[in-house]
Amino acid sequence: MRRRKATSALNTRLSPFQKIYLLLFAGFILGPFIPLIIQSFAFRWAWPDLLPSTWWLEQREKSMLPLAWDYVLSPYSRMLEATINTVFIGLVVTVICLAICLPAARVLARENFRGKPAFEFFLSMPLIVPEAAIGIALLMIFIRLGLAGSYIGIIIAHLIPTIPYMIRMLTAVYQGLGRDFEEQAMILGANRWQVLRLVTLPMLIPGVVAGALFTFLVSTNIFLLTFFLGQGKIITLPTLLFSKIAGGTLDASAAGITLLVTVPGIILLLVTERFIKEEAFGKGFGN
Amino acid sequence: MKNPKPPELARHRRERLWMMLQLLPVFSVLTILFGGALVLAVLQSLGFAPWFGVNTFPDFSYFGALWGSYSFWQSLALTLYYALMATFISLVMGVLLALAMVRMFPGKSLYKYLYKLPLMIPYTVGIALAVIMLGNGGMLSRLAAFAGLISDPSEFPQILKTHYGWGIIAVYVWKQAPFVTLTIYAVLLGVGRETEEAATILGASRWQTFFQVTLPQILPGIVSSTLIIFAFNIGAFEAPFILGGGYPDTLPVVAWRYFNDADYTLQLQGMATVVSIALIASGILFTYLALYRRYERRIGRN
Repeated sequence: MRRRKATSALNTRLSPFQKIYLLLFAGFILGPFIPLIIQSFAFRWAWPDLLPSTWWLEQREKSMLPLAWDYVLSPYSRMLEATINTVFIGLVVTVICLAICLPAARVLARENFRGKPAFEFFLSMPLIVPEAAIGIALLMIFIRLGLAGSYIGIIIAHLIPTIPYMIRMLTAVYQGLGRDFEEQAMILGANRWQVLRLVTLPMLIPGVVAGALFTFLVSTNIFLLTFFLGQGKIITLPTLLFSKIAGGTLDASAAGITLLVTVPGIILLLVTERFIKEEAFGKGFGN
Repeated sequence: MKNPKPPELARHRRERLWMMLQLLPVFSVLTILFGGALVLAVLQSLGFAPWFGVNTFPDFSYFGALWGSYSFWQSLALTLYYALMATFISLVMGVLLALAMVRMFPGKSLYKYLYKLPLMIPYTVGIALAVIMLGNGGMLSRLAAFAGLISDPSEFPQILKTHYGWGIIAVYVWKQAPFVTLTIYAVLLGVGRETEEAATILGASRWQTFFQVTLPQILPGIVSSTLIIFAFNIGAFEAPFILGGGYPDTLPVVAWRYFNDADYTLQLQGMATVVSIALIASGILFTYLALYRRYERRIGRN
């Protein structure tokens, strides 16, 4: 009896409760997308019906105005503009963030200096101070400087929440790297630039790709800073969707836009799963 | 010990300088943007706004007016309630999922994609999903009607736009439980299963193993992930704005309304609100971290 209990706890298989829990969790995450997809194709979907009584395609020829997907895919929905903005801002933020975080992460992973814990704490402060506070305070400054509603303003603002993640992930990468290889190259007569180009960078690439992807991801998901600082002049996917659902209702075209806003996330998911290992996240967030 | 020779000293200095130079970009960006924004917010909330022709620094009346009003405390309670509830539920759901994720099961590699989806997409998508699922004409209401429980949308218990905020909390949990899972799962993978197995062989029950072996090991991950999501929840704007129950609003929404008011002197009130959010959030989080540090010292980890 006692022995059976012990083996069950040692088991690497799921308990019945865990099986049910995994299914429920998957339902919680993915389930809501089913009515969303149905809604985007619905023309008339009155309350107690579980499926629409009239579908969008049936009415397509009769209607003067573009319906649901016709609207979503037309230039009027500004989807293309928002997508381009989101990707452009995300790319620039990632490049700048990488450029300023790489040298700092190297020092943080390898050197000891007075005030290092305080410095590391300072670098993770943006994770702790609420975004609304930073957003409104920055808006005040940016209005004075004429940066509100400009790409530069939004890109600068996006650096604040992305830097802490980038620093953490890159520091973890450098810590895993060790400095032996670099030292050997130095001993063999390589100069600093050669060491960087021929030794450090090739070994860093996987971690750097992971950090860059994660930064891009964070930037493309930012709503508040873009919304406050973009002043409605620059729209990205999150702010475009916000303006469609701000009234608290969701029509067919808003459902279509929601689905399209999800697509980049799915692509990113497929890409990041290849590059970011769960362990790397653990190093980044574990303390 | 004799003093280092001058060339060594010079080399040492050069290295220090090079180190500082490498830290400088990220330090200056954060100091100017983040520190600058905070300092200016504090100055403004204390009455320093020469561009409006207001300069009564230091003037505590904005804080006085804000903290003296009953609605501020209502908003604060609401903000903290949503943030705490969502953080707690995300934590429990996330830890349970992470514990299941380290086991073997068919379709695990697919599940690893699936559970991360909410991390990749904006909160606004979650809000849209909440509207279509939880609204009075939403999917759950239809299913309730299908099951014969209700015969009119108004009979469905209102979930969105109430001060219980279940809609807001649902969106946060949907987005943040996977984040907790990811963090804890990573820590669990790093720790391995040997200690748990040892505890089981030594006769510990499942509950004992969890609370005395596993929990202390994943605690750093729990603390860091809950810190991040709690801070986010306090400052979140879009979910309470769309799904909230109206007056009293959460503090970020209140600040935004002040800030967009035609009466620009209210902007200073908005700044006082913003500074209050930052103060309260950092106060809570510092206390939390300090308690955690003390616990770590007590159990002999540094």
